[in-house]
Amino acid sequence: MWFLVPILGLIIGTFLGSNISFQLPPIYIKYMSIAVLASLDSVFGGIKAIFEDTFDGTILLTGFFTNALLAALLAYLGDRLGVDLYYAAVFAFGVRIFQNLATIRHHTLTNYRQRKQRNRGVKNE
Amino acid sequence: MRKYVLPLTVVCIISGFFLAFQLKVQTKSTNYDAVSQKNANLINVIQALEKEIENQENQIETMRNQLNEIQNQNNKGKLQDLQQEIIQAKINAGLTPVIGKGIIITLDDNKEGLLNAPNDDPNKYIIHYEHLLNLVNELKIGGAEAISINGQRLVTTSEIRCVGNLILINTTRIAPPFEVCAIGSPKLMVESISLGQLDLLKTAHYPVALAEKENLTIPAYKGELQFKYAIPQ
Repeated sequence: MWFLVPILGLIIGTFLGSNISFQLPPIYIKYMSIAVLASLDSVFGGIKAIFEDTFDGTILLTGFFTNALLAALLAYLGDRLGVDLYYAAVFAFGVRIFQNLATIRHHTLTNYRQRKQRNRGVKNE
Repeated sequence: MRKYVLPLTVVCIISGFFLAFQLKVQTKSTNYDAVSQKNANLINVIQALEKEIENQENQIETMRNQLNEIQNQNNKGKLQDLQQEIIQAKINAGLTPVIGKGIIITLDDNKEGLLNAPNDDPNKYIIHYEHLLNLVNELKIGGAEAISINGQRLVTTSEIRCVGNLILINTTRIAPPFEVCAIGSPKLMVESISLGQLDLLKTAHYPVALAEKENLTIPAYKGELQFKYAIPQ
């Protein structure tokens, strides 16, 4: 039942985010969207790591913050230089999110099938 | 407790927060296009600055009233002459509301003309700042002693300036219909403008009205009149 706690966290975060009255200046919307992608990437990356038994909380958290900061810095640098490096960050995060999702799906399906087979095996005995 | 719960919860809270926040900002910003969003920011800036100007104008007004009170308290002997002089100077500078015989000219954009000719250049149908400038000039030639446009007293530092589809007078935005009040000899002023801008506007079918008034009040100038560079010679 522990998997419910992160979901509860997600709900709390959503609640906080939708109730905050802070106004973001329109120029920073771009950076904010990178932060969204970075955090989503971390969430799926974390779930994937759980399935693969390589989960490490420190790596997840540091990865999250450094990824978000680096992406924002890159986007800022791109803005200064007139190159849309912002899209590079979006692309990188997007690809990773899709890959992580695919891996998660793969693992869940495998787990499901294995369990089914085991159950059938128990019945047959 | 499993080891993944705490870090994953932290990341989940943050990502939920970001998601909801971004969603909120995005739904708000898709209601406008990028340009109007930029404009909204500028409008906020302008409105804040205008409020500041208004506050400062009110401050100037209260301070002027205080000054008047103090000056009125000390009118004994020699000071009385000086007092008189100050009052006269203030009237000349436009720092006091004045009342007197005068004319009111109301001008508006030629909306009907524009409706009848939708393919024509709309610039030909709106009142431009030059019209007001010429009108004021001619009123002055006709001996106007005090002039105001939409409640803005014209003083020596007043500008009449085009800002997009509005006109700026005393750094205040003015929009049509315009009401130009002028105190002075109605006959002379009417003659002066009738041979000039007023007739030009009439022939161009702008809705123009002219009225004489016995007790016309013109408000005082609300802004600052302080010279930093010009000193008496």
